[in-house]
Amino acid sequence: MTHRDRTLHVAALARVEGEGAMLVRLEGGRVAEVQLNIYEPPRFFEAFLRGRGHTEPPDITARICGICPVAYQMSACRAVEAAAGVEVPEQIHRLRRLLYCGEWIESHALHIYLLHAPDFLGYHGAVEMAKDHREIVERGLGLKKVGNEVLELIGGRAIHPINVRVGGFYRAPTHRELGPLAANLERAREAALETVRWVAGFDFPHFEQDYETVSLVHPDVYPILEGQIGSSGGLDVAVAEYEEHFEEVHVPHSTALHARIRGGGAYLAGPIARYNLNRDRLSPLALQAAREVGLEREVRNPFRSIIVRAVETLYACDEALRLIEGYEEPDEPFVEVPARAGTGAGATEAPRGLLYHRYVTDEEGLIREAKIVPPTSQNQAQIEDDLRRFVEPRIEMDTERLTWECEQAIRNYDPCISCATHFLTLEVRGG
Amino acid sequence: MTDAVVIGVGNEFARDDAAGIEVVRRLWAEAPLGVEVVEHDGEPARLMELWAGRKRAWVVDAVRATDGSPGTVHRLEIGAEPIPDRPRRDSTHHLGLGDAVELSRAMGRLPGRLVLIAIEGAWFDTGVGMTPAVTDAVERVAGELRREVRASARTGGGR
Repeated sequence: MTHRDRTLHVAALARVEGEGAMLVRLEGGRVAEVQLNIYEPPRFFEAFLRGRGHTEPPDITARICGICPVAYQMSACRAVEAAAGVEVPEQIHRLRRLLYCGEWIESHALHIYLLHAPDFLGYHGAVEMAKDHREIVERGLGLKKVGNEVLELIGGRAIHPINVRVGGFYRAPTHRELGPLAANLERAREAALETVRWVAGFDFPHFEQDYETVSLVHPDVYPILEGQIGSSGGLDVAVAEYEEHFEEVHVPHSTALHARIRGGGAYLAGPIARYNLNRDRLSPLALQAAREVGLEREVRNPFRSIIVRAVETLYACDEALRLIEGYEEPDEPFVEVPARAGTGAGATEAPRGLLYHRYVTDEEGLIREAKIVPPTSQNQAQIEDDLRRFVEPRIEMDTERLTWECEQAIRNYDPCISCATHFLTLEVRGG
Repeated sequence: MTDAVVIGVGNEFARDDAAGIEVVRRLWAEAPLGVEVVEHDGEPARLMELWAGRKRAWVVDAVRATDGSPGTVHRLEIGAEPIPDRPRRDSTHHLGLGDAVELSRAMGRLPGRLVLIAIEGAWFDTGVGMTPAVTDAVERVAGELRREVRASARTGGGR
């Protein structure tokens, strides 16, 4: 094996052994092949949902992911409600937004502190980093805990919230209950601001991509579960039109589907896309923090996604506090969503990006067809493209270092592999 | 917060990965006073929160062992030494149970006593239903754990 002919193999979700997760093959000093294969549990759930009642998707799809159950619940609710022609009242929408802020805080804090920061600071992982920087890890865990508290209070518990139902919630919190949460969120907001400053000081590899970014867009608020689907290419369409503009295609090397823009190519969903398309709708504090640390108006370096996540964490704390301050207890915690034949689409911004659901129901409200497009599936083609372009100028690097940097490039996307499995092991083998 | 917690880690929609969840579901109805029984997805930070400050914690999870045999049960009492053979990194996304233990150790958040019980599984595809050997192991572990947790509750936490 020569240095210029190698295979970098980030392999084998251990619990689905034998299936390659990522493979980069170098030949003659060029990248000959990049393959990414992320297992996709939503396919199972699409089949599992058929024949179920229209009130069941929020509880069932929440099980797809322990990190972002709220995203699945919210996209499911939006889609089922759209199929029944129901709009929830503003108070319920705001309570959903508050719940979702908790998930953003929790998910982003986990990724920033325990998964991504160790890469930039030269540690193998969070355990090693904690030995040297215990107070920093404490800050991250504290921040994450406040996200959990939002989920516990509004959602009933931290994983797979049980208080969410189609049409709203089983129970709405009282003003009194929100008081202690607000106090903790204020402390979390301080920690989030420190986080922005901390991660902005990291060294970032020189790497830029001319992304086509896709996220929800909204004229008034930084989108979480509202707005149209927009792109840097000028797209601005209703959620119900998603499938007219995006498609999922089979690629020969993967059992997973790759999402593409119809007639176009790969695109980027997630924090960078949201930020680039909606920066001006951040809260004043979050926008000021982004400016203070020199975060560019349009982020093109995927490694800098860690700063965007930190800014979004700050925004989520700020927004949660705003929502609590303006909270009015709804007269009823939910509106009835009748069983009705129809087709409805819903999209919300999961921490990792756009999460699209579509359901077809019959006159008894039974699900006849379900479609779920998670953000990681949308980003797969873009991750492959990042790897291809990232590796080529670094081809002379030793294998261990290059594999490490490739892993880091994948981690930029916070890919939701845990939906299916706990383990991803690393293997380098000769090409 | 109760003195003791029993945590079943897993994913009920990933075949044998449901083993930990199935064990704790068999303990719910008859857990002694002072013992919390929890289903968990294994997310490390919440796992650490859950066992920190307790006198006793048991964690049941499914594992895939190389050349293993489904249904085999392993027990590891966490002591002063780090867990051997902890993978360098488990995932691009998720930390594993071993990381949660070692991160707790680094942060001074280990419970007084922590026991990990691992059930070897064979089939981790998405879907419901465990392999027969794993189902048998779940019954066995649930029975043993029921007795152990009761005895421990009576003696107030001694080994």
